[in-house]
Amino acid sequence: MARSAAFELSQDGGTSVLALAGDWTIDTIAELEPALRSLSPLPGAELDVSALGRFDVAGAYVVVRTLGEPRGAPPIAVRGDHVNARRLLQVVLSAAAAPAEPPERPRGLLGVLQQTGRAAADISQEILETVSFLGETLATLGQLLMRPRRLRWVSIVHVMEQAGLNALPIVTLLSFFIGLVVAYLGARILGDFGASVFTVELVAFSMLREFAVVITAVLLAGRTNSAFTAEIGAMKMRQEIDAMRVMGIAPMEALVAPRVIAMVVMAPLLTLAAMLAGIAGGLLVTWASLGVSPTMFFTRISDAVPEQHFWVGMVKAPVFALTLAIIGCKQGLSVGGDVGSLGKRVTSSVVQSIFMVILLDALFALWFLEMDW
Amino acid sequence: MSADIAIRVRGLATRFGAQIVHDGLDLDVRRGEILGVVGPSGSGKSVLLREIVGLDRASAGSIDYPAFSGREPRLGVMFQDGALFSNLTVLENVEAPLREHTHLTPALRGEIAALKLSMAGLKPDSHHKKPAQISGGMRKRAAVARAIALDPELLFLDEPTAGLDPIAAEQFDRMVLELAKALGLTVFLVTHDLDTLYAVCDRVAVLYGGKVAAIGALDEVAASASGWVKEYFCGPRGRAAHRNTAAGVGHGN
Repeated sequence: MARSAAFELSQDGGTSVLALAGDWTIDTIAELEPALRSLSPLPGAELDVSALGRFDVAGAYVVVRTLGEPRGAPPIAVRGDHVNARRLLQVVLSAAAAPAEPPERPRGLLGVLQQTGRAAADISQEILETVSFLGETLATLGQLLMRPRRLRWVSIVHVMEQAGLNALPIVTLLSFFIGLVVAYLGARILGDFGASVFTVELVAFSMLREFAVVITAVLLAGRTNSAFTAEIGAMKMRQEIDAMRVMGIAPMEALVAPRVIAMVVMAPLLTLAAMLAGIAGGLLVTWASLGVSPTMFFTRISDAVPEQHFWVGMVKAPVFALTLAIIGCKQGLSVGGDVGSLGKRVTSSVVQSIFMVILLDALFALWFLEMDW
Repeated sequence: MSADIAIRVRGLATRFGAQIVHDGLDLDVRRGEILGVVGPSGSGKSVLLREIVGLDRASAGSIDYPAFSGREPRLGVMFQDGALFSNLTVLENVEAPLREHTHLTPALRGEIAALKLSMAGLKPDSHHKKPAQISGGMRKRAAVARAIALDPELLFLDEPTAGLDPIAAEQFDRMVLELAKALGLTVFLVTHDLDTLYAVCDRVAVLYGGKVAAIGALDEVAASASGWVKEYFCGPRGRAAHRNTAAGVGHGN
């Protein structure tokens, strides 16, 4: 068991003697430190170690610090015998160096202003980089279109399975629930106006035009974008991307293009599934609470809902998919050497893509309404 | 004398599925010595290290510390690539174990961490940098400083000089030797570097075929070598490293 540290300062013929007792280790010096600090400095004092127990570097350090400036100090006069005290004091004396000042960090108002400015500059830089990445991706896709033999079918199909097929259950399930909720709302609120038959239109319009595609895109942003960024980012950290470049494999062709192509192909299919599931949810509610039979439900849809609404929803899917894939890949390639940047990039990948999905959807809505589609 | 044995491994067996890594391995590490552990890739050197420090469990066998009379000795481990926390500065990395296990004031904690860094040969201007901003050799030194932050009794080094240039490796060897002697450390050193073996190790243990194939002072092991051990020590690289030490070009002593 460790004994607690103790010391005694005495005068012996004009020189002060610091007698140490007990264990002076990293576990015991904490309680002694304030007393020692008030004692310091003691230039020319001698050290008595005859009653000293265990001793380690931390203990030696506080002793050296108490006796005076550690740097360039003369050797300490030691009385008594101890198994390692002299050696450790020597180690500390020879290793002690001037501490480096931590780098200045502006505080207060200046710090806030500086951070804000930096963040704004980062955002504009990020936008610029993403747009130029979009251009680069489109150029690569164009080149691949000219030489389709360079397409990496295996990667494409793999991504289609991982990002598309495996997302099918969650996409359909969630959009089924959204369909249920919309139909319930319709049945309740339209019922107050005696117009509950229009629930069918409400479900069909909202699912076809907006909900199916937005749900799909948001889910892909959370599920697939994070995976894209993490995969590519980990490859970047382990220098696998550099290795590809050295071998003459363009990462744009091998990593980015397959992901973009697979996403653009799969997103519309997922959207279609989401539309069907949402409408099925609506059907269930109208059937159960309004007594609209499935036959009536579908007759009403084919009578009252023009085909263009389907296309309004569907046409957004590949656009969203392209945006998502580009943001995911771009963030992955921007990962730096450390773990922190990987986390930050995955976060911004998901946040940026959801932001872009909502923003683009709003722009689409504006455009389609103005065009009377 | 069991009081001299810092680590005692008896009948250690490690199996990963059908693959047998250790097969009844016995090893004694004496207190205060620097033991070099060598062996071909895949002979279970790093696995042995991980089992001794408690990161992995052996399938069978025992590991204990007779010299520390029943209590767990304090361990310091330096992993192969340093394993420094990349979101902390170098100084904060060394402070981390101090923060967890002691009640020092922040000021004293920082001073002790800085002292450990300069004992490991790291200049103050790099103390406030992130691990990604310093060179590989400096990262290894920072990792050693973190390993000795709590004044451990046992120090484990996994391939400390891998990836260093010969000059940096030599300086690193010298630093390890000086630290071990000054602090009275028992060092368990896994290495492939023959120069390191000749420069710093008191004894070497050769792992081969799931057992300790040979253990002893380097000259004895090299002299009585057969099979893989012979190829290792008496191959061109082994001879060159030995020549250097014999001619006094070597380092450390």
